[in-house]
Amino acid sequence: MSNIKARGIGFINTYKAFTKAGVQSSMAYRASFLCFVLGESLYCFVMYFIWKAVFSSSGNSTFMGFSMTDMTVYVFLSNLVGFLTSTDSTENLADEIHDGSIIMRMIKPVNVDFSLLAFELGNKVMMITCVFLPVMIGVEIYRFTVLGYCAFHIGNFLLFVVSTVISYLLAFYLNLIFGYLAFFLMNIWGFSILKGSLIKFFSGSLIPLAFFPGAVRVVFEQLPFASLVYVPTMLYMGKYSGWEIVFVLAKQILWLGVFIYISKVIWKWAQKRLAVQGG
Amino acid sequence: MIYVENVTKEFKKTVKNPGLAGSVKSLFHREYETVKAVDDISFEVPKGEILGFIGANGAGKSTTIKMLTGILTPTEGKVEINGQIPFKNRKKYVKEIGVVFGQRTQLWWDLPLLETFSVLKQIYQVDEEQFKTRMAFLNEVLELDDFIKSPVRTLSLGQRMRADLAASLIHNPKVLFLDEPTIGLDVAVKNNIRKAITQINEQEKTTIILTTHDLNDIETLCKRIVMIDKGKIMYDGALSEMKQQYGKYREVNMSLFQNEDYEQLHFEEDLKLGGDDLKVVRNKEKITVTFHSDKISVSDLLSYILNKTQVKDISVNDVNIEEIVCRMYGNGVSAS
Amino acid sequence: MRFLRLYGTFIALHLKKLMEYRIDFLTGAVSFLINQITNIVFIGIIFSQIPDLDGYLFYEIIFIYGFSLVPKGIDHLLTDNLWKVAWFIVRKGDFDKYLTRPISPLAHVIMEFVQFDALGELLTGIVLVVVASVKLSISYTAGKIVLMIIAMLFGTLIFTSIKIACSAIAFKIKQSGSILQIFYMTSDFARYPVTIYNEIVKNIITYIIPFAFTAYYPASYILRGNDPVFCIGGTVVLSLILFGFSLIVWQKGISAYESAGS
Repeated sequence: MSNIKARGIGFINTYKAFTKAGVQSSMAYRASFLCFVLGESLYCFVMYFIWKAVFSSSGNSTFMGFSMTDMTVYVFLSNLVGFLTSTDSTENLADEIHDGSIIMRMIKPVNVDFSLLAFELGNKVMMITCVFLPVMIGVEIYRFTVLGYCAFHIGNFLLFVVSTVISYLLAFYLNLIFGYLAFFLMNIWGFSILKGSLIKFFSGSLIPLAFFPGAVRVVFEQLPFASLVYVPTMLYMGKYSGWEIVFVLAKQILWLGVFIYISKVIWKWAQKRLAVQGG
Repeated sequence: MIYVENVTKEFKKTVKNPGLAGSVKSLFHREYETVKAVDDISFEVPKGEILGFIGANGAGKSTTIKMLTGILTPTEGKVEINGQIPFKNRKKYVKEIGVVFGQRTQLWWDLPLLETFSVLKQIYQVDEEQFKTRMAFLNEVLELDDFIKSPVRTLSLGQRMRADLAASLIHNPKVLFLDEPTIGLDVAVKNNIRKAITQINEQEKTTIILTTHDLNDIETLCKRIVMIDKGKIMYDGALSEMKQQYGKYREVNMSLFQNEDYEQLHFEEDLKLGGDDLKVVRNKEKITVTFHSDKISVSDLLSYILNKTQVKDISVNDVNIEEIVCRMYGNGVSAS
Repeated sequence: MRFLRLYGTFIALHLKKLMEYRIDFLTGAVSFLINQITNIVFIGIIFSQIPDLDGYLFYEIIFIYGFSLVPKGIDHLLTDNLWKVAWFIVRKGDFDKYLTRPISPLAHVIMEFVQFDALGELLTGIVLVVVASVKLSISYTAGKIVLMIIAMLFGTLIFTSIKIACSAIAFKIKQSGSILQIFYMTSDFARYPVTIYNEIVKNIITYIIPFAFTAYYPASYILRGNDPVFCIGGTVVLSLILFGFSLIVWQKGISAYESAGS
């Protein structure tokens, strides 16, 4: 038991350095970080105005089961989740593969994914304090002024937090797998655009998956992308109940397992390939 | 040809306060301090000369080169090259100069070398006939033929440097600026590059300003040097003069038949010389004695050694320039 | 003339490169294509539930959307190197090279790179405009077509000017990629009718960062016959003002350029 504990502390110490580096680098780039946040919020406002126009054109107070309040919360929250779970691991990994510095990760006695993850965790600290809290508070104030009562639900919030953490890990491994594609592809930037738009589409960032017609919707909901944004957002909004909650969370964990496994397999293969070809 | 008069370049640097409070503060209010990278320098270079420009990292070499090439504008002072002021009329001015920055290439990474040259031909408006004779000349001097069809990214560092040198000469410039043209190259390639530079200078009477950390470059290429430290000129004159002025040191290199004989030599006690005036370094069999030639004549020293020991091999040499430069920095010549 | 020849040479060289990296080109172009398709599906889903959006029919929205992609795509195709200026060419001191060449550094840096990825975006835009025109049976006259092309070209100039001005900020602060990104992202607003936005947003994208003139206003002249003096003339005038402004910023930037290192 104590052995496990000691190993745990050693593990934390090893990766703490990476996390610290992450915090520092995000402080150093705070201007570009701020700009990035501004850009994301601009996008939210575009979406907000479009939905507003949709609601006023439809003449109904609800649109496919969503009220305008729901829709606003959905737009800001889904983009927040997308933002929180966004990772640069594809680009970072691709850069390392292209310039050959990936070798450095192999000769260090640390795990590739954990060192990348620890570095990003540092970034997340900044995101949570500077973006997550203000947006959450903003959304709740908005709901309160529109509805006239406080709609915040602590249980849903906790489910949301759990689900978002899983979603982040899922996004991380998914991006890692995309990053490994740099072994075959030079134009990883063009590919990132593709990846970004596919994720935006299938994860429900662009349109709530509930809006897709019957069969399409069922298929989309089973895909791993749904677990990235749609599930946490819907949990926050309290759109799931009872067994549904257990079911969607289980699905998230299942997909996470699958992606971790795939990334490990590719990494093993890459190591062999690099050992043979010398980068 | 090149006139530099009382030129100063200042940079503003933001002062960073340490800690979180400091970085929050700097978000709203930035403090600047002025740094003088180049401080009131003047020199002239006549046509056809190769001038060696030396100094430690951050001494102001690159800043000076960048002012001479029109990339940076001097804060104060006057620069005139070919009768033109570099940063005014920049486009006209740069047609008559060639620039190589050893640390970065001006070639297009993905293009075959030949294509790079044809683009440069258009940029510098070189006509077809001139281009052909020019390429033939550069080919001969820099031996580009082996790799002229390969993409630049596949070239070795030595090939790339030759290509960069050729690219800077395609428009037959009157002045050539070479910023560390031999950086990172191996000895054989360095020699090739030096030979090419000499040849270009001799055949075309190109005026060349060269910065380098490799003093062998200076020794083989330049008759005159300008040494700069902390933005100020420490020395401007002939290389041979500098050697005389600061280089009255000679060295005796020798080896003995019997190594134990070394014990017979007591320079300090017998000759009353030590410290900077006489130094002995032993490297296995090889013994090097560096001495100041005003303090003891070569013949006195040699006869002392030859009396005491059986010498297998002995030679007297000038101290190399590297040693001189180190001494100059060490002695703070800038004060004198 | 000399510039055009030089540009021609660069484009030819890039086409050769394209053949060498065919897979990468396809990935890039297809990526931008798919990116647009997802947005069109989004519009489609909205219209499955409503007859019109703020008075605009499905194909009218598609027309505006497609129109917006044309100037954006042309600019993306031709001036993509400005992004690199903003992100790293200045920061790494690589801008020195352009200052030692006897042509305008701005022209040089722009000409040096052609981003064929943009063809995905550009082709989608053209296809959407054509399809929407057919479905709406817009009656084109020669004059209308000329005005439309003028609007698209000057709309491109709006994009390019904003990129020039934003990337020039890098000369002062070393890196301005994120600033450029924000300004560039406001062009998202231009894909839809400005009438759906509130007054603040509307005024910003009409007069301050005039992306509304890259798509909505000119398109509304074609679709609804809105005042061409404002809709097309506005595009021309504002783009020229913006272009002049961006050149001043660029010039100021270059004189503030401090290169890298000592």
